[in-house]
Amino acid sequence: MRVLLVEDEDRLAENVASALREGPGYAVDIAEDGEVGVMLARDRCYDLVILDLMLPRLDGAGVLRRVRASGDGTPVLILTAQGETKSIIHMLNEGADDYLSKPFDLGELIARAKALIRRGKGAAHPTLRVSDIEINTLEQNVKRAGQRVDLSPMEYRILEYLIHRPRVIVSKRELLEHLYDYNWEHHSNVIEAHVSNLRKKLDAKAETPSIETLRGRGYRLMVLQPAAGAEQ
Amino acid sequence: MKRYSIARRLIVMVLLVELLSAACVTGLALIYERHAHFRAFEVMLHGRADSVIGAVQDAEDADDNVMLDKADFEVPAEDVYEVRDEKNRLLGRSPNWSGADPSLFTSRQDRVVKLHVNGRHYRALIVHGLRIVDPGDKGGGIPRHVTVIYGSPTERVWHAVIGAVQFFALASLALMAVTGIAMAWLLHRGLAPLRTLAAEAAKVSASSWRFDPPEEARASVELAPLTLAMENALIRLEQSFSQQRRFTGDAAHELKTAVAVVKSSLQLLSMKPRGVEQYRAGLEKCQADCARMEEIVGKMLTLARFENLDSYTTVTIAGTDLSESIRQVEQQFRSMAEVRGVSIHLDLQQPLSVAVQTDEVALLISNLLLNALQHSSRGTDIKITSQASPDCVEFTIRDQGEGIDPDALPHVFERFYRGDPSRNRNTGGTGLGLSICKAIVDSAGGEIKLESLPGIGTTATVKLPVYPHPKAPQPAEFLASATFPSA
Repeated sequence: MRVLLVEDEDRLAENVASALREGPGYAVDIAEDGEVGVMLARDRCYDLVILDLMLPRLDGAGVLRRVRASGDGTPVLILTAQGETKSIIHMLNEGADDYLSKPFDLGELIARAKALIRRGKGAAHPTLRVSDIEINTLEQNVKRAGQRVDLSPMEYRILEYLIHRPRVIVSKRELLEHLYDYNWEHHSNVIEAHVSNLRKKLDAKAETPSIETLRGRGYRLMVLQPAAGAEQ
Repeated sequence: MKRYSIARRLIVMVLLVELLSAACVTGLALIYERHAHFRAFEVMLHGRADSVIGAVQDAEDADDNVMLDKADFEVPAEDVYEVRDEKNRLLGRSPNWSGADPSLFTSRQDRVVKLHVNGRHYRALIVHGLRIVDPGDKGGGIPRHVTVIYGSPTERVWHAVIGAVQFFALASLALMAVTGIAMAWLLHRGLAPLRTLAAEAAKVSASSWRFDPPEEARASVELAPLTLAMENALIRLEQSFSQQRRFTGDAAHELKTAVAVVKSSLQLLSMKPRGVEQYRAGLEKCQADCARMEEIVGKMLTLARFENLDSYTTVTIAGTDLSESIRQVEQQFRSMAEVRGVSIHLDLQQPLSVAVQTDEVALLISNLLLNALQHSSRGTDIKITSQASPDCVEFTIRDQGEGIDPDALPHVFERFYRGDPSRNRNTGGTGLGLSICKAIVDSAGGEIKLESLPGIGTTATVKLPVYPHPKAPQPAEFLASATFPSA
């Protein structure tokens, strides 16, 4: 998952980005002002936008308006130090999904970020299940047919992204964009190796293949039963 | 102090004045009426005494005496009289009188006397008359002198006088009552604009500063100054109130952000077990974050101190040498400038005495110089000049830094405003430095101006009042006039 953090206070941005990278293992890009934030969000490769309200050049409300006006439905979490109910109501009505008042708890921020990403992908429960693959996004562990599968952090992230989009072809570029921050192009060679390793680990004790490779187009998570979904 | 009503006091005062004048009028009326009535009374007494003399006839006796003929002679029943001849013989006396004091007949002059007859007050006239007995005889007859004393009770006269005076007194009292009622009503009506004004003023609150004084309050000579004063006071109050509120809001925002940084730094550190090196680096960052928070709090307090100062409290007794202050501040910043590869040039006129306290001047210069240093790139110069002009002292700090965006320039003195779009807190500061500079200069009654050309540099120009002031008033006078904030 990849998160855009628009925050001008560089120490705070640094801390939040570190927490998101170390905790749920998200890729994080930081924009220092509203204009840069809008510019980065235009690519739509983010699964969540964390937006400060008081920003130089273009304030949070302006960023949110422009993002929503462009038809972008990425979940937006507002960080505010104003604490005024009126501005919170205004932001939620403008299309924000959630808010946190400064000073906030990093644990809460991570939990809300996870919940917003989940909701953004149409899943309500932190445990996601497709066919016989089950992943728990809280503990970050994976089971196939009830058997625990040990994955590396990157392999887990690839699987988490794919499981949010069952039966859909996910291109290598999309995977790269959502799993790495702005310098994703450097990682383009390793993604194939990661997917290959992931497939090996998942299929080790199973009869059916889990991830299908469509040459030149991308990867697809195989669904055995017609009743697929992210629900329990 | 006891509560009192101006209207009631006015009414009482007017009524007291009216009472006093009524008493005077009544007293004068008493004097006049008494005089007039008694004059008429005396004329009447004269007439009656003359008729008594007329009744004195020849007695037709051997000695040619005279007598009082009572045949066709009538006097009112309560009047008294007595007639005697020149030998003091009693010719006649009214039956209701025991007789006059004989001493009354000794004088040969006509006069008015007061008598007390039968327990009543009388006023009597003593008249001397001449009766010629046998006027047809040779030698013109024999003259016989008679003295008549005729009195009449004064009760009726006094009655009339008191009646007239009573009328005056009652009329005055009635007038007073009418005046009292009319004044109460008129004052109530006349003071209506004051009540409307009070009602309007009562509507003003911290959330609604709208003050609509009634038109008649503005039009009245007495209320216009009060209305104007209230309007001005409310405008100033609202301004300082909203300024305070904005400051509190901005301060809360900055402090919350600063706390959020510290909190997140600590939480990040405790998210998972780390190595000693990582902990050490993390703690150092936390300390830096705390130092920043401390700096913000310190600067906010400094700013609050300067903004709460009224100009009269900053009246400086001694001047400060501006050029000396610039030199001292420059020394403090020399090593920082060397590290950054910026050279500072001074072009100072001296001595230049300004009417600002030394520590404030130093704070002002160091804030401006720090600003210039932070925005200067390696290898550039900063030039500080100072010179005296006729009525003020001016100094400029000119850098060759990146300059300020024209859009940002009008806002640089706003609190917590940072011109640097990246708002990198390590170089951008707290956004309070220039606000503090402006507060210092404003409280000293000076001027501060920032001019900037992006890519060429920024020039800060500060004008401060000269010490001693060219038109320096005497200290006592100065203190008295300084209670009004100077423009």
